[in-house]
Amino acid sequence: MQITGMLFGAKLLKLVDFPTAEVRGPEACDHEIKELIARHGEVFVKPIFRGGVGKKGKSGLLGRAKDLNTALKEKERLYFVEHKHGNAVAKSQGVTFEGAVPAEHEVYVSIADSTKYRAPTLTITHHGGMDIEELPKEQIVEIPFDPLTGLKSFVITNALCDLNAPKEIVSPLAQNLPKLWDLFHHNGMTTLELNPIRMMPTGKGSLIPVACDFKCGFDRDDPRVKRLNLPNDLFAVDYSDFEQEINQLRTYQGQSDVSVINANGTILAPTFGGGANSLVTEFLGDDAIISSDFGGNPPYEKMRDVMRICLKHWLKQSNVLFIIGGKANNTDIFVTFRAMADALREYVSERGPTPVYVVIGRGGPQLSRGLLAFKDVLDSLSLPYRIFGFDSAMTDVVRYAQAADRWMKAGGRKMLARQLGIEE
Amino acid sequence: MDTLINKQGSGKFKYFVGINSLAEMATCKDRVCVLNILGNESRGVTPVSHAYSGGNVVFGTSPGRRGEVLETPAGDIPVYNNVREGLEDGHTFNTGVVYLPPAAVRDGVFELMRVNSDIKKIIILTEKVSVHDAREIRALAQQRGVDVFGANCLGVADAWNHIRIGGALGGDKPEESLRKGSVAIYSNSGNFTTTMASYLAAGGWGTTTSVSSGKDLYIHFAPAEFANAFDHDARTKAAVMYIEPGGYYEANLEFNKPVVACVVGRWKAKLTRAVGHAGAIAGSGDGAEAKEKWFQRILRVDGIYSPENPIVSQAGAVVTNIAHIPAALTAVMKLNGIEPDFAPEGDLTLKPWFGDNQGLPLPPELDIPLVEPIQPYKDQIAELSKQVGATFPRESMKDRSGSSIMDPKTQVTKVSGVSILDTAKYPLASNYMLALIHETSDENDLALFNTAIATKVNLFGDPAIAAADGARAAGNAPNTVLAAACTMDGPRRVDGARKATDVLIELFGHSGLHAGDQEGFDFSAIKPAPQQLAVLIGKKADPQAELMMSGLKARGAKSVFVDYLRTLGNPTGDAVLAAISTTICWSALIRKKISRTTARNLPWYLHLFATIIGASVDGAKHTADSFCGVPVKELASKWTTTEMAYLALLGEKPTPDKLFPFQVLLGLIISNGVGTISAQGAKGAVSADGPESPERVQINKAMIGFLTHTGFAHGGNGFEGIQFLIEQFGGTDLKDAGDPNHGLDLKAMGTKFAEAFGAEKKARKGVGEGVRNIPGVNHPVFKGQVVNKDPREVYLSALFKERGETNVFHDFYSALVQALFDTGVTANVFCVNIDAVIAALLLKLLWPRYRSGAFSEEALETAAFTAFLFGRMVGCAGEIDDHINRGRNMDTRTPASQCTHVS
Repeated sequence: MQITGMLFGAKLLKLVDFPTAEVRGPEACDHEIKELIARHGEVFVKPIFRGGVGKKGKSGLLGRAKDLNTALKEKERLYFVEHKHGNAVAKSQGVTFEGAVPAEHEVYVSIADSTKYRAPTLTITHHGGMDIEELPKEQIVEIPFDPLTGLKSFVITNALCDLNAPKEIVSPLAQNLPKLWDLFHHNGMTTLELNPIRMMPTGKGSLIPVACDFKCGFDRDDPRVKRLNLPNDLFAVDYSDFEQEINQLRTYQGQSDVSVINANGTILAPTFGGGANSLVTEFLGDDAIISSDFGGNPPYEKMRDVMRICLKHWLKQSNVLFIIGGKANNTDIFVTFRAMADALREYVSERGPTPVYVVIGRGGPQLSRGLLAFKDVLDSLSLPYRIFGFDSAMTDVVRYAQAADRWMKAGGRKMLARQLGIEE
Repeated sequence: MDTLINKQGSGKFKYFVGINSLAEMATCKDRVCVLNILGNESRGVTPVSHAYSGGNVVFGTSPGRRGEVLETPAGDIPVYNNVREGLEDGHTFNTGVVYLPPAAVRDGVFELMRVNSDIKKIIILTEKVSVHDAREIRALAQQRGVDVFGANCLGVADAWNHIRIGGALGGDKPEESLRKGSVAIYSNSGNFTTTMASYLAAGGWGTTTSVSSGKDLYIHFAPAEFANAFDHDARTKAAVMYIEPGGYYEANLEFNKPVVACVVGRWKAKLTRAVGHAGAIAGSGDGAEAKEKWFQRILRVDGIYSPENPIVSQAGAVVTNIAHIPAALTAVMKLNGIEPDFAPEGDLTLKPWFGDNQGLPLPPELDIPLVEPIQPYKDQIAELSKQVGATFPRESMKDRSGSSIMDPKTQVTKVSGVSILDTAKYPLASNYMLALIHETSDENDLALFNTAIATKVNLFGDPAIAAADGARAAGNAPNTVLAAACTMDGPRRVDGARKATDVLIELFGHSGLHAGDQEGFDFSAIKPAPQQLAVLIGKKADPQAELMMSGLKARGAKSVFVDYLRTLGNPTGDAVLAAISTTICWSALIRKKISRTTARNLPWYLHLFATIIGASVDGAKHTADSFCGVPVKELASKWTTTEMAYLALLGEKPTPDKLFPFQVLLGLIISNGVGTISAQGAKGAVSADGPESPERVQINKAMIGFLTHTGFAHGGNGFEGIQFLIEQFGGTDLKDAGDPNHGLDLKAMGTKFAEAFGAEKKARKGVGEGVRNIPGVNHPVFKGQVVNKDPREVYLSALFKERGETNVFHDFYSALVQALFDTGVTANVFCVNIDAVIAALLLKLLWPRYRSGAFSEEALETAAFTAFLFGRMVGCAGEIDDHINRGRNMDTRTPASQCTHVS
């Protein structure tokens, strides 16, 4: 859950009265753009990407215009532009027009929780406007501070003095940066980055910090995010239909964390426990359709719904249904397995049989009842299967599932389909 | 920040760390207070922890529930509203355990720290605690000098002291996994803490202290603090750590004893967000690869350990597969001259406990032979395999149901997962089977079911009809009349059929029979004992049995059990009834979809169902060989249950076009969710008998509970709608409400009423009186739109339209809501609600009789109420059976603390 860019950034900063560059969205009409240029002498035209997309400037995705004609040409170029960053490809959905801010100094500021200090930490440098990773260490400072009292002016003053920052920027930053803490802490943010903040002369001999780019991340487990009334679809791009359907079941009792790894995968692996999730995801790699953690002792109804959704989206393409977890501490194996087995049975009654090899590995409370409940359903559905207890190494069980997948790909699936009386 | 907040620091740390040795982590002296002790998770986990630790929980909190206790094998734990009350009562504790929901965790932790100055440790089990709250918890805990574990962890356990604090490390049998030994565990995963302990035991290693750290962004008791405590614990000779990506907690660790570190999560670098562990997402330089390198440097190895390439040093090893931990540890310890704690227990090779190739030519790598499960699972599985039918976990079922669920948005209830909009399309018999067996029925099931009802519906000579007639004569409403009849269907009357069901299950339970209507089943392996035979057959032919069997034959019904009885001689009537019900439920029973209790009670439900239909008719219509003038033999061989219900209510055989709306009517009202008074009455009756001894629950009494929890306001109120329609149509010459050419101007009728109603409304408002409701119009959920619709009504309208059926009453309602809006009486178009549909359906059926004078208004009211009872008994039977299978004794009572006095 991230926001980048000034379209929403400026709105959020306004909530705490932090000065921002003047911004117009993609709906801006010609005369508005013209007036913006007239007021600021120049506009920056930036594509709007949903979610966290970095390094736009470096990729040439930043337009500048001093006249309407150029601004419109840049708009046309950037409106639906595609941006590749690492493996991720993002497509722009419009552009913003941002008034240029004259300044001599550019400042980088971020607030994030640091695991080094186990505290919220201010990172600041007056060598802003560039990639922070490229700066020598002595030009940046990281200052942890007490969340119970918040980010105070003295923290900023001390930090800037440590950096030997130009004295004219110290006071305006000490006055304005504490506002960011209110935005960060009270609205469920986990990171907030302004880069650059341009120190604009006021005309009265002083400077004012103006945010010219914005990036923040939200904590999906923090209900404070809702205070901002951000449109729901702002983060929707992060989630597939399947993930959104599962997310609706996301409550604190019983995990329902899921992420699609490979929509063309062939092993459907509902996984229990964060550890098992790491391990199974690691070993299955691209064979896995989803990465999931359904542990945390979900109740029957929730588990059945989660499984129903998983099966609805993925079972048809799956060669292997692989239910895997370690030796559960608290998750009731009988409840969760009965729920999953019932969901599988219901799937088959509604949609008819499907050729799938079932591999199960699990331990925990009510194990015997749970495994037997699943076994009964697999027997009644005439599916091939192996069920392992916790005395088999989990990684070997993962490899077994992969071997089953290979066999299914190499003709096993066809054989099984024929046996079940279905044509594929 | 740590240095800024905590001036003292602790030992080598610049910040506060209270626990200096793993031996201090979970001790016999620790006394524990559990917040939200009565929450779902705690209720299961805390009793095990308390008993395992010799009773270390002094009290728990749960706001509003002071005075209650949490029962545990080591004695009851008292519950208070808050921490202060517990302390005021003289309890002391140094450790807090937090089971609160995420939004309440921070405040709970603050309560522990501010109210109790003795607090030293806090363990937070809750998942999904926000980063915001975690950062404040860290800061305050540092100020106050408290060690925090979690959130999203499973706490700590000590195998030497037999102490477990917090969550469920070691599961429900901690001693099984937490074997005493010399290795400490530190794990980002709660589940892997136990899994690794099991793996270590397979390699001959036991444990000292196990720490589940959690893997949120903030880890309060981090690896550095663990390393320090590990160093100072003389019992611990080595440590095993399970570490995931994200965070710099492991970057600069120092160890003086051997460590095996398992770093998992290279692949996670491809993910853009965390799954499961919120903190397990790397930023820059803290991914799994970086962490492998950190540990390689710390443990002085130049690669990852694997069985093929066993890279170890005296300082330890790094693995990326948890299954390699025991072997790596043994190799490291060998270099240190230390042998395992005990002989290896088993191994971790692939050992499938169950499997089936389904006759496919599997390659050897897949075709692994099955292995007997380890103990105690082998014995458990052997025992469970003998069991026929499902066993459901017992829990409090107050206001909860596994039978029905209502969607608050659509107000549509589902019974056994099927919407009442669909049950409206099923015959009554199907719905009854659906409620009890949780599966849809086929033609054979229907033939069996209908035969059983048909042979029991005639109550000639039965005390039930005498009781009903007596109650009727005394002026009781139909629910009370039918309740009186049900008292006669007590346990003794169904004892024979229940015993016969038991015998059939004993004989066929392990015979390989998968379906009750399986053809060509070979009886030669069924060997009944003499006492079993005595339950099934009598000395001479039983007329009831004969009647049922002839009915089954006439309908071509198939039943392995009836066929089997035929081979034995003269089966009793009870045995045939048992054979019928067992055939119906066999497949679900064998697949463990229903319990054995449900199967053995099914004859009782059939009895009650027939009695309720039969007793709704005056005793004079029950004769030696006929019911409502229809020969019993004919009923047994042809009639459906819905037809019999229609016959009982309206005194004639329905034509198909009359039967359908009647069936829809009954199907619609089978349930309105577990919160309805009728369902509550049924559940209360079960709860009071004690479902934990299911054989003692009186199902007829539970059915009476349902009946007595209906009345003129719940069930009988359907008549209000009928009365309203009679008022509107009484003055017309309508003959057939199904005639599309009825000749009435419904719009004008609606407008006339709306104008009169509007005037009345105005007048009432003028004198400050409330406005009366129009029965069947408006709904508290479906309102506020420009045009409002009750989705159930919309669905049914479409259904009838599709069948080309007209209902003038229903159409009038549609005209009326429009007229109310058009005349300005309502601000928007109100919906026609489901009650209106029911009234319209029923009155359409009754209208000819009412018009001819055969039915008085009183008879109409009785018929409307009885129809409701016919439908609702289906849903309530489902609730009764569900509560018997899942509920606890007296679980529907309301705690005194939640009851209020009104003066």
